[in-house]
Amino acid sequence: MEKTTAKKTAKIDKRAKIIDQFKRYVLEHGKVPATVFKFTQELKLKEVDFYAFFSGFSGVKRAVWQDIFEVTLAILRSQEVYKEYSSREKLLAFFYTWIEELNKNRSYLLVLYGEQQLPQLSLPRELEGFRKDFKEYVKEIIEEGEETEEIAKRPYISEKYDEALWLQVLFVLRFWIKDQSAGFEKTDEAIEKSVNLAFDIMGKSALDTFVDFAKFLYQAK
Amino acid sequence: MEESRNEQGKIPVGKVQRAAKFIKTGAKVGGNYVKHYAKRITDPSLSRDELDKNNASDIYTSLSELKGSALKVAQMMSMDRNLLPKAYQEKFALAQYSAPPLSYPLVVKTFQKYFDKTPDQLFEGFTRSAVNAASMGQVHQAILKGKKLAVKIQYPGVAESVSSDLKLVRPFAMRLLNISEKELSHYLSEVEERLLEETDYELEVKRSKEISAECSHIPNLSFPKYYEELSCERIITMDWLSGNHIKEWMLTNPSQKDRNRIGQALWDFYHHQVHELKQVHADPHPGNFIIKDDGSLGIIDFGCVKVIPEDFYKGYFSLIKKELVANKEELDKIFYDLEFISAQDSDEEKRFFKAVFKEMISLIGKPFHQDIFDFADDTYFDQIFELSDRVSNDKMFRKSRQARGSKHGLYVNRTYFGLYSLLNQLQAEIRTTKPDWLR
Repeated sequence: MEKTTAKKTAKIDKRAKIIDQFKRYVLEHGKVPATVFKFTQELKLKEVDFYAFFSGFSGVKRAVWQDIFEVTLAILRSQEVYKEYSSREKLLAFFYTWIEELNKNRSYLLVLYGEQQLPQLSLPRELEGFRKDFKEYVKEIIEEGEETEEIAKRPYISEKYDEALWLQVLFVLRFWIKDQSAGFEKTDEAIEKSVNLAFDIMGKSALDTFVDFAKFLYQAK
Repeated sequence: MEESRNEQGKIPVGKVQRAAKFIKTGAKVGGNYVKHYAKRITDPSLSRDELDKNNASDIYTSLSELKGSALKVAQMMSMDRNLLPKAYQEKFALAQYSAPPLSYPLVVKTFQKYFDKTPDQLFEGFTRSAVNAASMGQVHQAILKGKKLAVKIQYPGVAESVSSDLKLVRPFAMRLLNISEKELSHYLSEVEERLLEETDYELEVKRSKEISAECSHIPNLSFPKYYEELSCERIITMDWLSGNHIKEWMLTNPSQKDRNRIGQALWDFYHHQVHELKQVHADPHPGNFIIKDDGSLGIIDFGCVKVIPEDFYKGYFSLIKKELVANKEELDKIFYDLEFISAQDSDEEKRFFKAVFKEMISLIGKPFHQDIFDFADDTYFDQIFELSDRVSNDKMFRKSRQARGSKHGLYVNRTYFGLYSLLNQLQAEIRTTKPDWLR
């Protein structure tokens, strides 16, 4: 029993070490290592050990995104007040915390996703894992919001809310990458305003009443 | 009020959108003029007052959707009652109280950024929503060691948007204040400087401590304690002053004696600042004064402080010497020094402006010429309004090629008009003091 846990932590250490060293390499050289072979040699690691965790560098990049997300959630959940937040506030808190974590990794992220590297429409494959995790997380928020009627339940559209909020993540990410303001205050403003807009749209509005009325007219004929 | 509250909910994002908002208002104001003249043709008795009322309401609606410096300018215009036609005043007075709130997670984030701690970790209690809105931020109530504190938090991005907001406000300020482009630019640099200072919370704490220490000897005044260790660029923590604003306090029917006591404290406070410290709390709007439960006058918000340069001080205040109005040469020199008239003026202009400024001075200086002045006297204020209405609609002023009056006068004038109108609200009789060199 003791042996297996020891082995397990060693395993996690190795994985963490690879991620750490990968980030460091990117920071120092301003680019991704040329080959896994060269990278592991510098690390004094067996190539096999690398492949035990990742199939390639894009796997490492993917892990970085997911780690940032995990850390963000851990911080949020450690805050007492987070539980008392409304859905809107939860999402706001998520963004603010997430951006703080991004700030800690800004130089690394700019090397990989600086303005030129981030494609306008498609997104890098390595964000896929983060996307899945985020959507799972945000679904909870949406469900909660629907229960408290902060968010209106609408046929068809409701199922797309998580996807819409993911697009917002990308919007905030792009905004932050280009943000030149001191302390990234513009990003804070962008978050505040875009989340408020998103929740105003998702909330019950005149449009729902209108659709209801139109439906009534149609059926009453 | 109800309507304006709703408007507070949506803030246009980005300069383009804000500009669009202003253009919309511009179009509306234009429309009001058309409507006005159309109505005038059918009903010649229609006064300008009604037109002003329509304009004020449209412009206010537009300004209320902005925050930060635009709101501040609206506030200033509502302060400078002397400059505003009567119909505008009430609408703009609304702007003094409301601004859209910051979400609580952003408040938490701001705290974490500067103190590495959440409000809950720093204080025993902290209100989740703002209890009060300020033009550049919002106020939360906190509790520390059983003591109530006020915590002011600045909106993000306010400092950067000062300059662009002022550019947006320009055409409206021109129309509202009825002054030329040139004249406006002359003053706007001064306004911009003050507004930027106002976003510097560290400076504000420093000044608050300085001025409140310097004024601590004045009877019936009280200042909150400022907590430097809980303040930073974006956050100010100070004692919570509980009590009433002047308007609410007046509703409790205070006796003449009480009103005089509060009014005198206010007068002495300004007297000491202007004549001894040569720097003055230049934001005398009613929200910054609280009549505490112990009967003293609490003063908050030293965001806007005007430092009065020595040479301006001498010229400006020698104007209140009573015999001066009679002494032509000395008066002329001061008029030149204070940039009321310049060498470029034609003889006709010189004569006209001198006459107007003389009238203004004797009117504004009137309280100083009596030992005791009754600020409850509404006819005095009507005289001031009448004069400024007349001046702002006068052709000579509108055609004038240059700005009149030193830019330092802007905030000093604002301070005195603010002080006078507060004293008027208080219906107080004041022993009006003068510095020794003017006696």
